[in-house]
Parts: sequence; structure tokens; C-alpha cells
Amino acid sequence: MDNAQENGELVGEPRRVGYVWLVYLLLYALAIPWYWPAGYRGPLVLGFPLWVAVSLGAVVLLAIWTSWVIHRHWIEAGEQD
Amino acid sequence: MGGGMVFGPGALIAVGLYLVSMIGVGWFARTRRQSNSMADFYLAGRSLGFGVLFLTLYATQYSGNTLFGYTGKTYRIGFEWTASVLFMFSVIVGYLLYAPRLVALARREGFITPGDYIAHRFSSPALTLLSTVLMIYALCNYALAQIKAMGAAVEGITACAVPGAYGIIGLAVIMVVYETLGGMRSVAWTDVIQGVVLLLGFGILALLIPMQLGGGLGHVVEQLSEMDPPKVQVPSLEGVNKWISYVFLLGCGAAIYPQAIQRLYSSRSVKVLKRSLAIMAFMPLTTTLVALICGLTAAVVLPDLGKVESDQVLARLCAMVMGESTLSYWLVVAVFAAALAALMSTADSALLSISSMFTKDIYQPYLRPRAAEAELTMVGKVSSWIIVVLLVVVAIGTKATLVRLLELKFEVLIQVVPCFFMGLYWPRLTAGTALAGMICGLVVALGLTLMGKPLLWGFHAGVVGLFLNAAVCGVGTLLKPAETT
Repeated sequence: MDNAQENGELVGEPRRVGYVWLVYLLLYALAIPWYWPAGYRGPLVLGFPLWVAVSLGAVVLLAIWTSWVIHRHWIEAGEQD
Repeated sequence: MGGGMVFGPGALIAVGLYLVSMIGVGWFARTRRQSNSMADFYLAGRSLGFGVLFLTLYATQYSGNTLFGYTGKTYRIGFEWTASVLFMFSVIVGYLLYAPRLVALARREGFITPGDYIAHRFSSPALTLLSTVLMIYALCNYALAQIKAMGAAVEGITACAVPGAYGIIGLAVIMVVYETLGGMRSVAWTDVIQGVVLLLGFGILALLIPMQLGGGLGHVVEQLSEMDPPKVQVPSLEGVNKWISYVFLLGCGAAIYPQAIQRLYSSRSVKVLKRSLAIMAFMPLTTTLVALICGLTAAVVLPDLGKVESDQVLARLCAMVMGESTLSYWLVVAVFAAALAALMSTADSALLSISSMFTKDIYQPYLRPRAAEAELTMVGKVSSWIIVVLLVVVAIGTKATLVRLLELKFEVLIQVVPCFFMGLYWPRLTAGTALAGMICGLVVALGLTLMGKPLLWGFHAGVVGLFLNAAVCGVGTLLKPAETT
């Protein structure tokens, strides 16, 4: 049967933590290729043009950051140490 | 999925057995039901554990469009479509902006559909109905794209011996049978098989296509640099704006897909949901990135295809690979199974959500307010069959490229975003303000699209509409005086 009542209340959430979104802003600014000169390709890194490799690297950092944020800042009652 | 990729009898039997096994899973799921309630049918009794939840989230989020549409789009615009890796990741950031609070509320109040939350939060039948209609419209469009692609896939592997229309009907029947047998439990358990097949398929593609056809990614990129330099260069300013727009379009839109929200509701615990989303953050690197690499390889080995043909480049690449050895042949069969998995796992989830929203948010409040749970569940099953018949008729009778269909549905769906992202956190956001914002956003999004301006300086019409929608909600909320006690 529905076990909705078995769950605790929310005591922490990422949306309320300012520095989390500052880091997101910086990593998105790195991932979106707005800062390269027009027509740039650059040397190949693991087969990707440099600007693509930087964007993909930023996505890897974003994914790691997100996993940490979920673990650290999404907290239900009963999960706190 | 055309392009001369014709399977022999052994492969067709293997694919047939794989499809029939879906019905077996549906039947098994039916035997495991715990009650004849809507929560059991549409949310698997809120019992999904980590493995099932992660794979159903994965198989549902990555659709046939990821395989066919994204390889085709990369073929046409090159590395600019690296944006797809970023925007598919952004869906998880979208969840972080509202899911923790919605999930806590849903568990306390026993929500089944996204409309349940909107009705609870705003107490406005008009806002709930408009939101539900928009979400159903968007999902029908999404399911339609998957169903149309099923027909092309069947035509491709049988060299048109089986017409696309028969393929569509056959696969749609299999899908609706297992879905009505066990509801979310069936859909989620078939997603486990489909998710594993899809992961395997992308793994095979990543190893097979660039190495066997292009001599490695570096070689492909060097060749493409000579053949078509803009495809490897940094995008223009408008292209950069499009990246930003896609982050908003998918990061907000795909995060509030009704089938995604219902998966948030279905998790056994918040801990399970958190672990699943943490891993989902990495999945674009194993999925959309592979589609990108395949599209680039196609641009080198199959140059000068038209727009409609370019949505079939993946099938053409597979056709080139499969003749080279018995191993390659069977690897391509596995990729085809992955393609079917991608199409069916997305379409069945959309179908189940449409049926739940019709039953819970339209049939119950407007037609049978006192209907019992068993009656509502039965209405949901019957409506699934009716919706599938309608979608199949439309799918057989229309033509359009996959990515355009995707963009059109988001133009509409994204206008519901402020109800979640703002409604959950701003107590002073009223139903009237949210409704006014939604209507303004819709008028702008559809108006620009109908005027032939789907992009404004690189920003999608739906995103421009969302900015206005959010501005109306923000200003309306600030102007509302705080309540005094």
C-alpha cells in the first residue's frame, strides 16, 4: 500500500545554498563556448577540438559537483549525523 | 531507420523474442500488484528501488530522438551539437530546483499526477485544467515522434517487406498490452531490460562506429576539418545563444515532464531517488556524447545527405558495419534492439502519464467525482488503448523530422515551469498570476512559432515565452501585498 506517511520532512535543500549556485554559474560559463575567438578549432585533445574538450571537461565537473550537492545538501529528517 | 540495414531470419526471430519478452514482464508485473488502487497502478505503490528507478529514469529520458534525431542534428551542424551533452545534464539541475520540496509534499499528500500538486497548491480548477491540457498535448507529441520512428525502424530492417504502418501497429499493441497489464510496475520493469539494452547499444556504437568506419575520432575530426571547417569550429554568437536557450528549454522542460515527475513520486525512499539522480548526472557522457561521435563519423563517411535523410544516418552507418563480419552483424542487431528499447521505453512512459492525467485530472473531477479507485484504474486502462489508437492513426498519416517535433512540444510544456519552480517557494504567487503568466508565455511562444520565427537571436520561442511568463509571475507576486495577521 501507499507508504507516503513513512517518510520524514525535508530539512535541507540545494536551492537554499547560495554558493552551490555560484559554482554552477562558473561551471556553466566554462561549459558554454562564448569566450573563444570566432572560427577557432584548436589542437585535438583525445580526438576533440580544444574548445569541445574544455566544454566536455566542464560537464564532467558539473556532474561531479551535482552528485556532491545532492549528497551534501538534500537532507531529510533522520539523515543528519 | 532505413538505409539498407536488412536483417536475416535469425536476427528477426531474436528481435521478435525480445519484444515478446516485454509482454511476459508485463504479465509478471501484474501478478505482483498489491492493490487495485491508482497509486499501485500509476506509481507502482511508491515502491521502486535504486536499480529499477535509475534504469527507468534513464530509459525514459533518453529516447529514440537521442539515437536518431541527435546523430542527424550532429551530421548537419557538427560539434555545435556538443550542446546536447550540456542540456541533457541540465535536466538534473532542473530537478534540484524543485524536486526536494515536491517529493516531500507528494509523500505527505499522496500525489499521483503533476496536476494533483497544482490543484493542491493553487486551488484553481482553471489553472489545473490548463496545465494538464498543456502537459497532455506535449506528451502526445512526444509519444507520436517515438511511434513514427518505430515504423521507420521496422521498414528498415525488413527492406520494406513489412510496411511501416504494420510495424507501428504491431509495436504499439505490444506496448499498450504490457502497460495495461501492470501499469508503472510493468513499464518500470520493462525499462530495466530496455535500459540495459540501451546502455549496451550505446557502448557498442561508441566502440564500433568511429573506429571501424572513420579510423578513430581524431582521424574523423581531421577529415571533417578539411571537408567542412564550420562543423569543427566554435559556434557563432547566435549559436552560443542557442546553447543557453537549450539549457533553459531542456533543463526546465524535461525536468517537469509528467512521466519524470511520476518517477520522482514512485521512489521507495528519498535516499533511493538521490542516488539515482546523482548517477543520472553522468549519463549524457555515455549517451548523447556517443550520438555526437556517430553523427560526426557520418558527416565524413556519408557526406551530402538531405535533412530528412540525415535523420537516418545512424541506420546507414550500421548497414555499412554489419556486412563486415558475423560479430559486426550481431552487434548491429543489438544496436537495433537498443533503438527499439529507446523508442518503446519513452513512448510507454508517456502513454502511462497521459492516461493517469486524463483519469485523475479530467475524468474524475469533471465527469465522475465519486468514482471508486477500481473504476478509475479501469478508465485509465481503456483510455490508454484509445490514446494509442489515435496516436497510431496520426503517426501513419503525417511526416516531420524528429528534432523539430521535440522543439515544438517544449514550447508548450515549458510554460508550466513557474507553477513548480516558483509555486513551491513563493507563497504569495497566486493562481491568477500564474495563469496570467502561463497565457502570456503561450501567446508569445506559439505566436512567434506561427509567425515563422521559432528562434529569436538564437533563443527558442518557448524560452522567450518562459522569460515573459516568469516576469509576469515575479512582478505579480511582488505587487501582491503581504498578508497581515
